Amino acid sequence: MTMSVRDQLTRKKPIAKVDPGGHQDPHAGPELNRTLSTFTLMMFGVGATVGTGIFFVLPESVPDAGPAVVVAFLLAGLAAGLSAVCYAEMASSIPVSGSTYSYAYHSLGELVAMVIAACVLLEYGVAAGAVAVGWSGYFNELLDKTIGFSLPDALSYSPIPVDGGTTGLVNLPAIVLVFLCTLLLIRGASESARVNNIMVVVKLSVLVLFVIIGLTAFQADRFDNFWMAGSAGITAAAGTIFFSFIGLDAVSTAGEEVKDPQRALPRALMGALAIVVTIYLLVALAGVGAQPLEEFSSDEQQDAGLSVILENITGSAWPGTILAAGAVISIFSVTLVTLYGQTRILFAMGRDRMLPDKFAEVDSRTLTPRFNTLVVGVVVSLIAGFVPSDYLWDTVSIGTLVAFSVVAIGVMVLRRTMPDLHRPFRVPLFPVIPILTVAACVYVLSGLAAITWAIFGVWLAVVLSYYFFVGRHRSRLNDETVGTGVR
Amino acid sequence: MTLLVGFPTGHEDRSGLELAATFARSSGQDLALVTVVPASWPTPVAGHTDREFEDWSQERGREAVRAAEVLLAEHCPDVTATASWVAGRSAPSTLAGEAERIGASMIVVGAGHDGGYGRVVLGSTAHRLLHSSTVPMAVATRGYRASDHGKVVRATCAFRGDESSRRTLSRTAGLCHEIGAGLRIATFAVRGRTMYPPEVGTSPEDVVQDAWVAQAEQMQRAAIDELAAAGPLPEPLEHVVAAARTWAHALDALTWERDEVLVVGSSSASLMSRLFLGSNGAKIVRHSPVPVVVVP
Repeated sequence: MTMSVRDQLTRKKPIAKVDPGGHQDPHAGPELNRTLSTFTLMMFGVGATVGTGIFFVLPESVPDAGPAVVVAFLLAGLAAGLSAVCYAEMASSIPVSGSTYSYAYHSLGELVAMVIAACVLLEYGVAAGAVAVGWSGYFNELLDKTIGFSLPDALSYSPIPVDGGTTGLVNLPAIVLVFLCTLLLIRGASESARVNNIMVVVKLSVLVLFVIIGLTAFQADRFDNFWMAGSAGITAAAGTIFFSFIGLDAVSTAGEEVKDPQRALPRALMGALAIVVTIYLLVALAGVGAQPLEEFSSDEQQDAGLSVILENITGSAWPGTILAAGAVISIFSVTLVTLYGQTRILFAMGRDRMLPDKFAEVDSRTLTPRFNTLVVGVVVSLIAGFVPSDYLWDTVSIGTLVAFSVVAIGVMVLRRTMPDLHRPFRVPLFPVIPILTVAACVYVLSGLAAITWAIFGVWLAVVLSYYFFVGRHRSRLNDETVGTGVR
Repeated sequence: MTLLVGFPTGHEDRSGLELAATFARSSGQDLALVTVVPASWPTPVAGHTDREFEDWSQERGREAVRAAEVLLAEHCPDVTATASWVAGRSAPSTLAGEAERIGASMIVVGAGHDGGYGRVVLGSTAHRLLHSSTVPMAVATRGYRASDHGKVVRATCAFRGDESSRRTLSRTAGLCHEIGAGLRIATFAVRGRTMYPPEVGTSPEDVVQDAWVAQAEQMQRAAIDELAAAGPLPEPLEHVVAAARTWAHALDALTWERDEVLVVGSSSASLMSRLFLGSNGAKIVRHSPVPVVVVP
């Protein structure tokens, strides 16, 4: 059967095809069905969000926005929160498991799914690299403070210069971290919900420590000239900061498992958002209030920002050491989880035959996708080892923001094209919220540098040309009658 | 050929003997029951105490042989069997040495007594042998009783599609055909646990499990074709993929015959052609409700 290109681009994966094996496991019991409480869900959100960026983002964003970085945090939080609400409707109405990519494939068609895939791959892959780079800074700081030894610059900085800063040959700790995480994932790591809760406590504790000590050095006059960077500076900072809010959508993806999505989802989302924004704002206030603005651009703060601020304030090493230790432990888990997300999205794409079959191959010994994980490990470690994080964060943000905008538009499209679709969770105040989401995302996007847009454009072009020339002809849907997607 | 049965002194558990008799009936082989008694110290001038110890040790050996002969007459008069004892410093290595000396085709041992009835409980001897024996090895479930004049009716071969597991399968299929037992090819699909916080939904591992089930079915069909090309197939021949959240559930998901055995290949990471039970193999053995045979 020949199919027009238009049909190919808009064909949707039918819901019934989600489980091609058609296998049901009588002993597995219900799939954690609707067992999550609002609180657990909230902790998912906090756990997935805090730690991605807050340990590194201040030295990046304060020079852009000045004291008004506080406003930038609010702006980014608002965009993230609105997006998460739209995401929740999408996730709850498409009864499949997975990421934005899977939802889009089932509801908006193959082309949109590929666009989203490009965004999401950028989001997870680059985020894992960026987080590993940030980890490397804290790791060196911890080594220095505990045993008085730190790796030479040649082995802890990437060769690409940033604003005349330090350069080296390779960022070795970042590569080692990614390598270790890859090994764990191949062996079949399963970080449990309990470990997640411990990590949340560790992360929040060290941040609270920072806030408490930071506030002792608080000087209100550091907030003079609050608006000095103007709206352009604030938007630019918000674009970078947005990176520290990714992960909030974890709440939305778990929506299918909460007892009463219509009530629990928004509560968990808002709860997680409130906790995260409060913590971030306090960290920003404590940070900006504790030292002059110029200090944020110093070389050493670029590496282990929060830890160095603490040391400068107290004049003694131990608070910084504790913070660095907490960061090293918790950022490790963030890298692991982000890499994991990346491999599973690629796996889903491999299963849909949008990628070579190798990506969906399970290793018989470890029962994990080994090839897939190796590829992710190698690519991410190259990014982590050779690209400075300054170039990475904005790239992550742009991927996430575009994906979220597409989701918000998708929600509006679906309300029109499939009005009868069962939606356990509906966006309140429709269509105001989706429109606001798009507006907020576009506003934050407008602050990102031209180079970020260029990188994103090239990447999107690469993914889409791959789709047009290869993926489109290989797609699993070619073998089947065109699905009509969700009915 | 002979099956060597480890016959411990002072144990009430006869599961090893029962299992060995089932094998002997099925394959027409002889049984050699071997009891290992402690060897005396290697001293050039044996003193009084040394000789006394040696006497005690030999007496234990003779007692064990007498007990074994009684049991053989009682449990499996239809099987040709001998009972003997040897002195050795370590039970596993002495049994392995004996197996080599008499050219045994398999070592059969009973279950340890530190675990539940109806499960394969590895005692210290079995454990050592499972990581060093050069011949296949069978371990009974605790309290195993064969049916009267029972023979092996079916072997389930744990299969995961790699080179070593295809070798194991083809050997098992050959044996099943010889002794007229059925063969079931089983692949286990144990779902990994989702990592938290779940950034890509809470069940990405279901997709991985589904993919593995599909992959396993394809490998099983290919393996059956390969077997068919190589020679006659055992009858009946089934294949199944057991998918579950844990190894215990996966093994429970299958139905088991009374006189069935589970065949597990040894680790593919082992460089020498001797047993080395891998991590997945160990999980299968631990949760198996029927006796297991581990082959190099």
